[in-house]
Amino acid sequence: MNRKVLVAGLVVTLPLVGLMLMSLGRDSHKVESPLLGRQAPPFSLRPIGGGAPVTLESLRGKTVVVNFWATWCVPCVDEHPVLTAAPQRYGSDVVFLGVVYEDEEPNVQSFLREHGAAYPSLVDEGGKVSIAYGIYGVPETYFIAPDGTIVSKYVGPLRPDLLDGFVQEAQARAGTRRSDAR
Amino acid sequence: MKPTAVLLVLLLAPLAAAQTPPDHTPVDLAHVESIAGPPRAPRLTGAALEAEAKHIAAVLRCPVCQGLSVGDSPSAMATNMRQQIRELVAAGFDEDQILSYFEASYGEFVRLQPPLRGVNWLVWIAPGLGLLLGLGVVSWVLRGASTETPEAVAAAELPVEIVPDPLPDDPARAKAVLRVRELAYGWPGGLRPGKA
Repeated sequence: MNRKVLVAGLVVTLPLVGLMLMSLGRDSHKVESPLLGRQAPPFSLRPIGGGAPVTLESLRGKTVVVNFWATWCVPCVDEHPVLTAAPQRYGSDVVFLGVVYEDEEPNVQSFLREHGAAYPSLVDEGGKVSIAYGIYGVPETYFIAPDGTIVSKYVGPLRPDLLDGFVQEAQARAGTRRSDAR
Repeated sequence: MKPTAVLLVLLLAPLAAAQTPPDHTPVDLAHVESIAGPPRAPRLTGAALEAEAKHIAAVLRCPVCQGLSVGDSPSAMATNMRQQIRELVAAGFDEDQILSYFEASYGEFVRLQPPLRGVNWLVWIAPGLGLLLGLGVVSWVLRGASTETPEAVAAAELPVEIVPDPLPDDPARAKAVLRVRELAYGWPGGLRPGKA
Protein backbone atom coordinates (compact mmCIF):
# COMPACT_ATOMS: atom_id res chain seq x y z
CA MET A 1 0.00 0.00 0.00
CA ASN A 2 2.74 2.47 1.05
CA ARG A 3 4.74 1.60 -2.07
CA LYS A 4 1.75 2.29 -4.27
CA VAL A 5 1.21 5.66 -2.65
CA LEU A 6 4.88 6.44 -3.18
CA VAL A 7 4.72 5.50 -6.87
CA ALA A 8 1.55 7.55 -7.38
CA GLY A 9 3.13 10.52 -5.66
CA LEU A 10 6.24 10.26 -7.81
CA VAL A 11 4.14 10.04 -10.98
CA VAL A 12 2.45 13.32 -10.06
CA THR A 13 5.40 15.23 -8.63
CA LEU A 14 8.33 14.18 -10.85
CA PRO A 15 7.05 15.94 -14.00
CA LEU A 16 6.43 19.10 -11.96
CA VAL A 17 9.90 18.96 -10.45
CA GLY A 18 11.32 18.41 -13.95
CA LEU A 19 9.53 21.53 -15.22
CA MET A 20 10.84 23.55 -12.29
CA LEU A 21 14.40 22.36 -12.90
CA MET A 22 14.12 23.23 -16.59
CA SER A 23 13.04 26.77 -15.65
CA LEU A 24 15.92 27.36 -13.24
CA GLY A 25 18.22 30.12 -14.41
CA ARG A 26 15.83 31.34 -17.09
CA ASP A 27 14.59 34.92 -17.11
CA SER A 28 10.80 34.63 -16.98
CA HIS A 29 10.46 38.02 -18.68
CA LYS A 30 12.68 37.08 -21.58
CA VAL A 31 10.85 36.28 -24.80
CA GLU A 32 12.91 35.52 -27.89
CA SER A 33 12.12 37.97 -30.68
CA PRO A 34 10.68 36.28 -33.77
CA LEU A 35 12.18 39.09 -35.84
CA LEU A 36 15.78 37.90 -35.48
CA GLY A 37 17.12 36.68 -38.81
CA ARG A 38 14.28 38.39 -40.70
CA GLN A 39 14.04 41.61 -42.66
CA ALA A 40 13.60 44.60 -40.37
CA PRO A 41 10.10 46.12 -40.55
CA PRO A 42 10.30 49.22 -42.75
CA PHE A 43 9.59 52.65 -41.34
CA SER A 44 9.51 56.28 -42.33
CA LEU A 45 9.50 58.56 -39.28
CA ARG A 46 10.04 62.26 -38.84
CA PRO A 47 12.84 63.38 -36.53
CA ILE A 48 12.20 65.23 -33.30
CA GLY A 49 12.39 68.94 -33.99
CA GLY A 50 11.41 68.59 -37.63
CA GLY A 51 13.16 67.71 -40.86
CA ALA A 52 12.73 65.17 -43.62
CA PRO A 53 11.44 61.73 -42.59
CA VAL A 54 14.08 59.07 -42.05
CA THR A 55 13.37 55.80 -43.85
CA LEU A 56 15.06 52.52 -43.06
CA GLU A 57 15.08 51.70 -46.76
CA SER A 58 17.37 54.66 -47.44
CA LEU A 59 19.97 53.21 -45.06
CA ARG A 60 20.39 49.92 -46.93
CA GLY A 61 24.08 49.09 -47.21
CA LYS A 62 24.86 50.41 -43.75
CA THR A 63 24.72 48.79 -40.35
CA VAL A 64 21.80 50.36 -38.47
CA VAL A 65 21.38 50.52 -34.70
CA VAL A 66 17.80 51.33 -33.69
CA ASN A 67 17.40 52.26 -30.04
CA PHE A 68 13.89 52.50 -28.58
CA TRP A 69 13.93 54.86 -25.61
CA ALA A 70 12.06 57.43 -23.53
CA THR A 71 13.01 60.29 -21.24
CA TRP A 72 11.02 58.77 -18.33
CA CYS A 73 13.10 55.56 -18.52
CA VAL A 74 16.02 55.65 -16.07
CA PRO A 75 18.10 52.93 -17.82
CA CYS A 76 17.68 54.90 -21.07
CA VAL A 77 19.18 57.95 -19.38
CA ASP A 78 22.02 55.76 -18.11
CA GLU A 79 22.88 54.43 -21.56
CA HIS A 80 22.47 57.79 -23.33
CA PRO A 81 26.19 58.78 -22.99
CA VAL A 82 27.23 55.41 -24.45
CA LEU A 83 25.02 55.87 -27.50
CA THR A 84 25.86 59.55 -27.90
CA ALA A 85 29.57 58.74 -28.06
CA ALA A 86 29.09 55.83 -30.45
CA PRO A 87 28.59 57.50 -33.89
CA GLN A 88 31.95 59.23 -33.68
CA ARG A 89 33.64 55.93 -32.83
CA TYR A 90 32.13 53.88 -35.65
CA GLY A 91 32.09 56.42 -38.47
CA SER A 92 29.60 56.67 -41.30
CA ASP A 93 29.21 52.92 -41.92
CA VAL A 94 27.11 52.56 -38.80
CA VAL A 95 23.96 54.64 -38.49
CA PHE A 96 22.36 55.21 -35.10
CA LEU A 97 18.68 56.05 -34.76
CA GLY A 98 16.55 56.63 -31.68
CA VAL A 99 12.84 55.85 -31.74
CA VAL A 100 10.94 57.61 -28.98
CA TYR A 101 8.59 55.29 -27.14
CA GLU A 102 5.47 56.67 -25.46
CA ASP A 103 6.84 60.10 -24.66
CA GLU A 104 6.00 63.74 -25.30
CA GLU A 105 7.97 65.59 -27.95
CA PRO A 106 8.69 68.65 -25.75
CA ASN A 107 10.13 66.37 -23.05
CA VAL A 108 12.40 64.72 -25.60
CA GLN A 109 13.55 68.03 -27.03
CA SER A 110 14.33 69.34 -23.57
CA PHE A 111 16.20 66.14 -22.67
CA LEU A 112 18.30 66.21 -25.85
CA ARG A 113 19.14 69.88 -25.35
CA GLU A 114 20.38 69.08 -21.87
CA HIS A 115 22.15 65.76 -22.52
CA GLY A 116 23.18 66.16 -26.14
CA ALA A 117 22.20 64.36 -29.32
CA ALA A 118 24.57 62.71 -31.77
CA TYR A 119 21.95 61.12 -34.05
CA PRO A 120 18.27 61.60 -34.94
CA SER A 121 15.55 60.60 -32.53
CA LEU A 122 12.36 59.77 -34.39
CA VAL A 123 8.73 60.29 -33.48
CA ASP A 124 6.72 57.05 -33.46
CA GLU A 125 3.16 58.33 -33.70
CA GLY A 126 0.65 55.79 -32.49
CA GLY A 127 3.44 53.38 -31.51
CA LYS A 128 3.27 51.91 -35.02
CA VAL A 129 6.98 51.10 -35.30
CA SER A 130 7.29 50.00 -31.67
CA ILE A 131 4.57 47.43 -32.26
CA ALA A 132 6.08 46.31 -35.59
CA TYR A 133 9.39 45.71 -33.77
CA GLY A 134 7.72 43.85 -30.90
CA ILE A 135 8.80 46.27 -28.19
CA TYR A 136 7.90 45.32 -24.59
CA GLY A 137 9.55 48.25 -22.85
CA VAL A 138 12.56 50.51 -23.05
CA PRO A 139 15.42 50.51 -23.64
CA GLU A 140 15.48 47.90 -26.39
CA THR A 141 17.99 48.03 -29.22
CA TYR A 142 17.95 46.31 -32.58
CA PHE A 143 21.06 45.75 -34.69
CA ILE A 144 20.33 45.60 -38.41
CA ALA A 145 22.85 44.27 -40.92
CA PRO A 146 23.63 46.15 -44.16
CA ASP A 147 21.25 43.84 -46.06
CA GLY A 148 18.34 44.85 -43.80
CA THR A 149 18.31 41.69 -41.70
CA ILE A 150 17.85 41.96 -37.95
CA VAL A 151 20.94 40.31 -36.49
CA SER A 152 20.41 40.85 -32.77
CA LYS A 153 18.28 42.52 -30.16
CA TYR A 154 19.37 43.73 -26.76
CA VAL A 155 17.01 44.45 -23.89
CA GLY A 156 18.38 46.84 -21.28
CA PRO A 157 20.97 49.60 -21.11
CA LEU A 158 23.95 49.08 -23.42
CA ARG A 159 27.56 49.27 -22.28
CA PRO A 160 30.38 50.18 -24.68
CA ASP A 161 31.73 46.61 -24.78
CA LEU A 162 28.28 45.16 -25.51
CA LEU A 163 27.67 47.75 -28.19
CA ASP A 164 31.01 46.93 -29.83
CA GLY A 165 30.16 43.23 -29.91
CA PHE A 166 26.71 43.70 -31.41
CA VAL A 167 27.88 46.21 -34.03
CA GLN A 168 30.75 43.97 -35.08
CA GLU A 169 28.36 41.04 -35.34
CA ALA A 170 25.94 43.03 -37.49
CA GLN A 171 28.78 44.23 -39.70
CA ALA A 172 30.22 40.76 -40.05
CA ARG A 173 27.16 38.76 -40.91
CA ALA A 174 23.50 38.96 -41.64
CA GLY A 175 20.67 36.71 -40.65
CA THR A 176 22.24 34.96 -37.70
CA ARG A 177 19.93 34.61 -34.73
CA ARG A 178 21.09 36.01 -31.40
CA SER A 179 19.25 37.47 -28.45
CA ASP A 180 20.43 38.79 -25.13
CA ALA A 181 18.58 40.12 -22.13
CA ARG A 182 19.33 42.07 -19.01
CA MET B 1 -27.67 68.35 -46.37
CA LYS B 2 -30.72 67.73 -44.24
CA PRO B 3 -30.72 69.26 -40.72
CA THR B 4 -30.92 65.81 -39.10
CA ALA B 5 -27.86 64.62 -41.03
CA VAL B 6 -25.94 67.76 -40.03
CA LEU B 7 -26.91 67.17 -36.42
CA LEU B 8 -25.77 63.54 -36.64
CA VAL B 9 -22.39 64.54 -38.09
CA LEU B 10 -21.92 67.13 -35.36
CA LEU B 11 -22.79 64.59 -32.68
CA LEU B 12 -20.55 61.83 -34.03
CA ALA B 13 -17.53 64.02 -34.83
CA PRO B 14 -16.19 64.12 -31.24
CA LEU B 15 -16.54 60.33 -31.00
CA ALA B 16 -14.49 59.80 -34.17
CA ALA B 17 -11.88 62.25 -32.92
CA ALA B 18 -11.63 60.39 -29.62
CA GLN B 19 -11.03 57.07 -31.38
CA THR B 20 -8.32 58.38 -33.69
CA PRO B 21 -5.52 60.29 -31.95
CA PRO B 22 -4.79 63.60 -33.67
CA ASP B 23 -1.11 62.71 -34.29
CA HIS B 24 -1.84 59.20 -35.48
CA THR B 25 -0.32 57.89 -38.69
CA PRO B 26 -1.96 54.86 -40.32
CA VAL B 27 -0.49 51.39 -40.05
CA ASP B 28 1.77 50.33 -42.94
CA LEU B 29 -0.68 48.13 -44.85
CA ALA B 30 1.98 47.02 -47.34
CA HIS B 31 4.06 45.69 -44.45
CA VAL B 32 1.03 43.88 -43.03
CA GLU B 33 0.32 42.38 -46.46
CA SER B 34 3.92 41.17 -46.70
CA ILE B 35 3.32 39.17 -43.52
CA ALA B 36 -0.33 38.15 -43.68
CA GLY B 37 -1.12 38.30 -47.40
CA PRO B 38 -3.73 40.45 -49.13
CA PRO B 39 -6.95 41.30 -47.28
CA ARG B 40 -9.51 38.50 -47.62
CA ALA B 41 -12.45 39.74 -45.55
CA PRO B 42 -15.07 42.36 -46.33
CA ARG B 43 -14.14 45.90 -45.30
CA LEU B 44 -16.18 46.61 -42.20
CA THR B 45 -17.42 49.93 -40.94
CA GLY B 46 -19.45 51.29 -38.03
CA ALA B 47 -20.80 48.90 -35.43
CA ALA B 48 -19.67 45.78 -37.33
CA LEU B 49 -16.09 47.10 -37.39
CA GLU B 50 -16.16 47.93 -33.68
CA ALA B 51 -17.58 44.50 -32.79
CA GLU B 52 -14.95 42.64 -34.84
CA ALA B 53 -12.12 44.83 -33.49
CA LYS B 54 -13.35 44.23 -29.94
CA HIS B 55 -13.45 40.48 -30.54
CA ILE B 56 -9.88 40.43 -31.89
CA ALA B 57 -8.59 42.67 -29.08
CA ALA B 58 -10.03 40.19 -26.59
CA VAL B 59 -7.87 37.31 -27.90
CA LEU B 60 -4.68 39.35 -28.20
CA ARG B 61 -2.34 39.66 -25.22
CA CYS B 62 -1.21 43.11 -24.14
CA PRO B 63 2.62 42.75 -24.33
CA VAL B 64 3.35 45.24 -21.55
CA CYS B 65 0.73 43.94 -19.08
CA GLN B 66 0.47 40.95 -16.77
CA GLY B 67 -2.08 38.59 -18.31
CA LEU B 68 -4.41 41.26 -19.71
CA SER B 69 -5.86 41.27 -23.19
CA VAL B 70 -5.43 44.25 -25.48
CA GLY B 71 -9.15 44.81 -25.09
CA ASP B 72 -8.97 44.98 -21.29
CA SER B 73 -5.76 46.92 -20.83
CA PRO B 74 -5.76 50.70 -20.29
CA SER B 75 -2.06 51.00 -21.29
CA ALA B 76 -0.91 53.23 -24.13
CA MET B 77 0.51 50.21 -25.94
CA ALA B 78 -2.87 48.44 -25.85
CA THR B 79 -4.62 51.63 -27.00
CA ASN B 80 -2.26 51.80 -29.98
CA MET B 81 -2.81 48.13 -30.75
CA ARG B 82 -6.60 48.55 -30.61
CA GLN B 83 -6.28 51.43 -33.08
CA GLN B 84 -4.19 49.26 -35.40
CA ILE B 85 -6.72 46.43 -35.14
CA ARG B 86 -9.51 48.85 -36.16
CA GLU B 87 -7.50 50.02 -39.15
CA LEU B 88 -6.72 46.48 -40.24
CA VAL B 89 -10.34 45.35 -39.89
CA ALA B 90 -11.43 48.41 -41.87
CA ALA B 91 -8.87 47.51 -44.56
CA GLY B 92 -10.37 44.03 -44.92
CA PHE B 93 -7.92 41.84 -42.99
CA ASP B 94 -9.56 38.94 -41.16
CA GLU B 95 -8.91 37.79 -37.58
CA ASP B 96 -6.32 35.19 -38.52
CA GLN B 97 -4.37 37.67 -40.64
CA ILE B 98 -4.41 40.31 -37.91
CA LEU B 99 -3.24 37.84 -35.27
CA SER B 100 -0.49 36.66 -37.65
CA TYR B 101 0.66 40.26 -38.10
CA PHE B 102 1.05 40.82 -34.36
CA GLU B 103 2.54 37.34 -33.94
CA ALA B 104 5.27 38.26 -36.45
CA SER B 105 6.42 40.98 -34.04
CA TYR B 106 5.81 39.40 -30.64
CA GLY B 107 5.73 35.67 -31.30
CA GLU B 108 3.01 33.24 -30.36
CA PHE B 109 3.08 34.74 -26.85
CA VAL B 110 0.83 37.52 -28.10
CA ARG B 111 -2.07 35.11 -28.65
CA LEU B 112 -4.11 34.54 -25.52
CA GLN B 113 -5.40 31.30 -27.05
CA PRO B 114 -2.44 29.34 -28.43
CA PRO B 115 -3.27 27.76 -31.81
CA LEU B 116 -3.60 23.99 -32.03
CA ARG B 117 -0.23 23.18 -33.55
CA GLY B 118 3.06 21.61 -32.47
CA VAL B 119 3.60 21.32 -28.74
CA ASN B 120 0.59 23.58 -28.14
CA TRP B 121 -1.54 20.44 -28.31
CA LEU B 122 -0.11 19.62 -24.89
CA VAL B 123 -1.71 22.77 -23.43
CA TRP B 124 -5.11 21.59 -24.59
CA ILE B 125 -4.85 17.89 -23.82
CA ALA B 126 -2.66 17.99 -20.69
CA PRO B 127 -5.54 18.81 -18.30
CA GLY B 128 -7.61 15.89 -19.64
CA LEU B 129 -4.60 13.59 -19.56
CA GLY B 130 -3.82 14.67 -16.00
CA LEU B 131 -7.38 13.95 -14.94
CA LEU B 132 -7.33 10.52 -16.59
CA LEU B 133 -3.96 9.77 -15.01
CA GLY B 134 -5.24 10.80 -11.59
CA LEU B 135 -8.36 8.65 -11.95
CA GLY B 136 -6.18 5.74 -13.05
CA VAL B 137 -3.90 6.09 -10.03
CA VAL B 138 -6.85 6.31 -7.64
CA SER B 139 -8.60 3.26 -9.14
CA TRP B 140 -5.31 1.33 -9.11
CA VAL B 141 -4.77 2.09 -5.44
CA LEU B 142 -8.39 1.29 -4.55
CA ARG B 143 -8.35 -1.96 -6.53
CA GLY B 144 -5.09 -2.98 -4.84
CA ALA B 145 -6.65 -2.35 -1.41
CA SER B 146 -9.78 -4.38 -2.20
CA THR B 147 -7.77 -7.44 -3.39
CA GLU B 148 -5.90 -7.81 -0.11
CA THR B 149 -6.90 -10.90 1.92
CA PRO B 150 -8.79 -10.42 5.21
CA GLU B 151 -5.84 -11.99 7.06
CA ALA B 152 -3.45 -9.50 5.53
CA VAL B 153 -5.74 -6.63 6.41
CA ALA B 154 -6.13 -7.94 9.96
CA ALA B 155 -2.36 -8.38 10.30
CA ALA B 156 -1.82 -4.84 9.06
CA GLU B 157 -4.30 -3.50 11.55
CA LEU B 158 -2.85 -5.36 14.60
CA PRO B 159 -0.79 -3.26 16.98
CA VAL B 160 2.86 -3.80 16.38
CA GLU B 161 4.75 -5.56 19.15
CA ILE B 162 7.48 -3.10 19.80
CA VAL B 163 9.74 -4.95 22.21
CA PRO B 164 10.02 -8.59 23.22
CA ASP B 165 10.06 -7.64 26.91
CA PRO B 166 13.81 -7.22 27.29
CA LEU B 167 15.39 -7.09 30.69
CA PRO B 168 18.54 -5.30 31.89
CA ASP B 169 21.63 -7.44 32.37
CA ASP B 170 21.97 -6.25 35.95
CA PRO B 171 19.96 -8.82 38.07
CA ALA B 172 18.90 -6.18 40.59
CA ARG B 173 17.56 -3.85 37.91
CA ALA B 174 15.96 -6.77 36.04
CA LYS B 175 14.16 -7.74 39.21
CA ALA B 176 12.93 -4.16 39.64
CA VAL B 177 11.65 -4.07 36.04
CA LEU B 178 9.77 -7.32 36.53
CA ARG B 179 8.20 -5.91 39.69
CA VAL B 180 7.11 -2.78 37.85
CA ARG B 181 5.57 -4.85 35.04
CA GLU B 182 3.72 -6.98 37.58
CA LEU B 183 2.32 -3.86 39.23
CA ALA B 184 1.63 -2.02 36.02
CA TYR B 185 0.22 -4.78 33.81
CA GLY B 186 -0.80 -7.36 36.38
CA TRP B 187 1.50 -9.92 34.82
CA PRO B 188 2.29 -12.68 37.41
CA GLY B 189 5.98 -12.37 38.33
CA GLY B 190 6.32 -9.54 35.77
CA LEU B 191 6.24 -11.97 32.83
CA ARG B 192 3.83 -11.61 29.88
CA PRO B 193 1.09 -14.28 30.17
CA GLY B 194 1.78 -17.23 27.90
CA LYS B 195 5.41 -16.31 27.56
CA ALA B 196 6.76 -17.60 30.83
